[in-house]
Amino acid sequence: MATPDVNIGAPVATPAVARRHRLVLTLSRLWAWAFLGLMIVFFVIAVPIYNGGSVNFLTVRNSQNILVAIIPVLLLGLGQTFVIIGAGIDLSVGWVMSLGSVLSALALRAAFNAGLPLFPSVVVGFLAAVAGAALVGLINGTIIAKLKVPAFIVTLGSSFIVRGVALLMSENTTVIGLPRGIRDYGNESLFYLIRGEGGGFYFLAPPELTGELLRRMDRILSYPVVITAIVVAIAMFILHKTQFGRHTFAIGGNIEAARRAGIPVDRRVIMLYVLSATTAGIAGFLSTLRFTAGSAVIGDPLLLSSIAAVIIGGVSLFGGAGSIIGTVIGSLIIAVLTTGLVMLNVQAFWQFIVVGVVVIVAVLIDQSRELIVGRTRTGPPT
Amino acid sequence: MSEPILSIRKLIKRFGGLTAVNEVSWEVYPGEVVALLGDNGAGKSTLIKCVSGVYQPDGGEIYFEGRSRHFTTPMEARRVGIETIYQDLALANNLDVSANIFLGREMKHHYLGGLVNTLDESKMLSESEAALDKLEIHFPDLKQPIESLSGGMRQAVAIARAVYWDARLMIMDEPTNNLGVPEQQKVLELIRRLRDQGVPVILITHTLPDVFAVSDRLMVMHRGRKVTEKKTSETNTEELVQYMVGARDDMLVH
Amino acid sequence: MAKRHLIAAFAAATLLAVGANAASAQENIKIGFLPGVVDPFYQVMELGVNKAAKDLGIEVVTQVPPTWGVEAQTPLLNAMIARGDLNYIITAPVDKDQMVPALQAALDAGIKVITVDTFLGDGDYVNGPVTFPISYIGSDNVEGGRISARGLAKAIGGKGTVYINSTNPNVSSVEGREQGFKEEMAKDYPDITVLGPDYNLDDPNKAAQQTAAVLEQHPDLAGVFGTNVFSAQGAGNAVVNAGLGGHVQVVAYDATKDAIESLNKGDVTLVLAQKPFDMGYLAVEFAAADAAGVTSLPKRVQTGFAIIDKDNVDDPNYSRFIYKAE
Repeated sequence: MATPDVNIGAPVATPAVARRHRLVLTLSRLWAWAFLGLMIVFFVIAVPIYNGGSVNFLTVRNSQNILVAIIPVLLLGLGQTFVIIGAGIDLSVGWVMSLGSVLSALALRAAFNAGLPLFPSVVVGFLAAVAGAALVGLINGTIIAKLKVPAFIVTLGSSFIVRGVALLMSENTTVIGLPRGIRDYGNESLFYLIRGEGGGFYFLAPPELTGELLRRMDRILSYPVVITAIVVAIAMFILHKTQFGRHTFAIGGNIEAARRAGIPVDRRVIMLYVLSATTAGIAGFLSTLRFTAGSAVIGDPLLLSSIAAVIIGGVSLFGGAGSIIGTVIGSLIIAVLTTGLVMLNVQAFWQFIVVGVVVIVAVLIDQSRELIVGRTRTGPPT
Repeated sequence: MSEPILSIRKLIKRFGGLTAVNEVSWEVYPGEVVALLGDNGAGKSTLIKCVSGVYQPDGGEIYFEGRSRHFTTPMEARRVGIETIYQDLALANNLDVSANIFLGREMKHHYLGGLVNTLDESKMLSESEAALDKLEIHFPDLKQPIESLSGGMRQAVAIARAVYWDARLMIMDEPTNNLGVPEQQKVLELIRRLRDQGVPVILITHTLPDVFAVSDRLMVMHRGRKVTEKKTSETNTEELVQYMVGARDDMLVH
Repeated sequence: MAKRHLIAAFAAATLLAVGANAASAQENIKIGFLPGVVDPFYQVMELGVNKAAKDLGIEVVTQVPPTWGVEAQTPLLNAMIARGDLNYIITAPVDKDQMVPALQAALDAGIKVITVDTFLGDGDYVNGPVTFPISYIGSDNVEGGRISARGLAKAIGGKGTVYINSTNPNVSSVEGREQGFKEEMAKDYPDITVLGPDYNLDDPNKAAQQTAAVLEQHPDLAGVFGTNVFSAQGAGNAVVNAGLGGHVQVVAYDATKDAIESLNKGDVTLVLAQKPFDMGYLAVEFAAADAAGVTSLPKRVQTGFAIIDKDNVDDPNYSRFIYKAE
């Protein structure tokens, strides 16, 4: 006799409520996009009006500016995204970026002065930044995973140590004396657009220009932007397409379940902190290229912005949920805001106020989503 | 009677001065559901944790499928097919059904000779569907995070996971706690289905109606000792209560 | 010597002002003003910029970085460039090397650069490594350092230990002051030992902490030199909080109201007032002159100091240089 299907209980919600839940979930994921779009539209309209038609917001140059402006916050945010999804937090990323900047400048300078050509010297600088940063991440992760000290405390403590090391290695000053050529690596771009008459679109090498034509030249996709885009793509791949990414979500969602499922939780957690430190190291390396100097203080103000970008982008502070693209949107929101406000002649500190409001809104949306959809999350956040 | 799938001989487990499991001998045969009863502190959880590798016994022997076993970690027990479903289910609520079924054992595409591996999500999804079908469980949407599912559905996912990974013995710890009445019935139905498909189930419970609803045999513990072992059809609630509170003890009669 | 340059600059400026006013009908230039950070010194400079802008009928777009650093100043600079409607940028670059690429990009985009208070490269826009800015208008910071050294040496009787508290490395202005201070001490006051500088990254709280630590370590410390607004403020506070106001002599660079108050109380012995109003006003004038076709603008204009102490603080000829954000 055919037994009926074991229909294990209807979902708690009726179809109508389930639809509402899905709507809430979708809205909570998309609001950041909507806000970004609204902001851009606002500035596109307001900027010319305020400036009497002489200034436009969404010019080629300005959009490139925005892409360049998001680089440090975005890179720090990428690593932070992984860590926060895994129910941790990394408060040392700002200073690790500074360390990366100092290490890459020192290594680059030493390699070049020792006779290495420019490009290999730059590679040496990159490796130095990444190696130093990864080491910090390794130490952070090990203490958090093996000694079970809360991430907040460990990364806060290590941030002070890293800061001291960075200042020490830079001898309390900016690391200068870098080869001239790296300015190009930090500021030149893939494409060049010369607007108007006699202009054109150039790939990799701009023509020799002076005066008028130089004025009308825009740089499109500068090298740091390209490098950052590659890092973003790799991060997306790792988080959403690999077992490591899946395990990260599992650890953030229910660390006990992850452990019992045989996931090597300690190894994964250590890797998360290595990742966050490495992206910070790369950010430091890129800043050395852009400013042609290593600076031990450059990362300090960026930590909070990176966390703000991550939260705005929809990563839940409780762990277990988030996306890389969300962090990109969060970073864009901050950069669009800064640029737009400058063009409206509003003083820069308003940017802080607006970003703060947006962060609070993001957290409220996160919270109310939990209330409405009724998550039952198990396991304490680390 | 066929060979027992699990045979415990005079198992002892102590914690400091307390003997939590005191020379318990017991056998579980293929194709049956056995209830393990006892009041709080009787030692049933401890006994089971010795079987599933969470604890190491201080004395006695465990035989699984005829071979003597000494599990030092839960993973070792899992590898031979002893699956335990705990009260908290050990599921990741933020992941979907197939992600949970394959948690820790994800299927991957391999590229570049294993250098780069991506999740084979479509394969995991189809395998999960097949596993759920086999147990005749139907979910409306397999891609939803399981947090939006009811307690009973989440139990089903935990069970499906254990079954998928070839559980040869299923241990379930208080599976109907925290479930509403209709869901309890559905879970019990699932247990019966498991038995019918050849997976023996040890059901730890102190919910007597469940014992009578689904188990073939039962064993009662009290203060670390086995006090009786019976066929379910040969006893009733009052008797069981007496065993559980220690008023009756078949083992002391000699 | 500095005074002669100053007179020449003022004369040139007056002429230019007259000339520019006449020409203002034809040129409608727009200037961006990007100082270093929010503080009273730059606020007075902004007054100068705005006054000149008003007098000459020029539009000025101002952005002030909330913190001192290249990561704060660069995005604002880039946004200003991206506007596409600025002809000149008057800026105090926050790092003499790191701000070069970004300001070069401004020039490439057709925006001419005038630096005030701080310089790029080595400040020599004729023969130095960086020559593209139109001019560097600022104090002779090295001389200011020497003046501070002499003042402090006199106040402590020519011998003892003194301590420098400064803001950031690689910032041309404070670097010059440290340099001048140390040089002067080494040359004329061999009995004075100089400690520091410590860098407070333009945070008065850090300045206070660092100074307090040095006071603990050297109970015989005789004098402190705070090289800018926040350094002097913080260091001065530390001295007062340690109960040493009036015993440890403090020389403060930058005449904020706070510094003057301390001077009146006897906690600070000497205040060096720069002339940020002049810097701002002249910078706008230079922009207007350049736009009108003048090509003989001096590449370096030294604005002077007013040296304020207890004796002349009430003299309006000196007190007018106190930084007030009217």
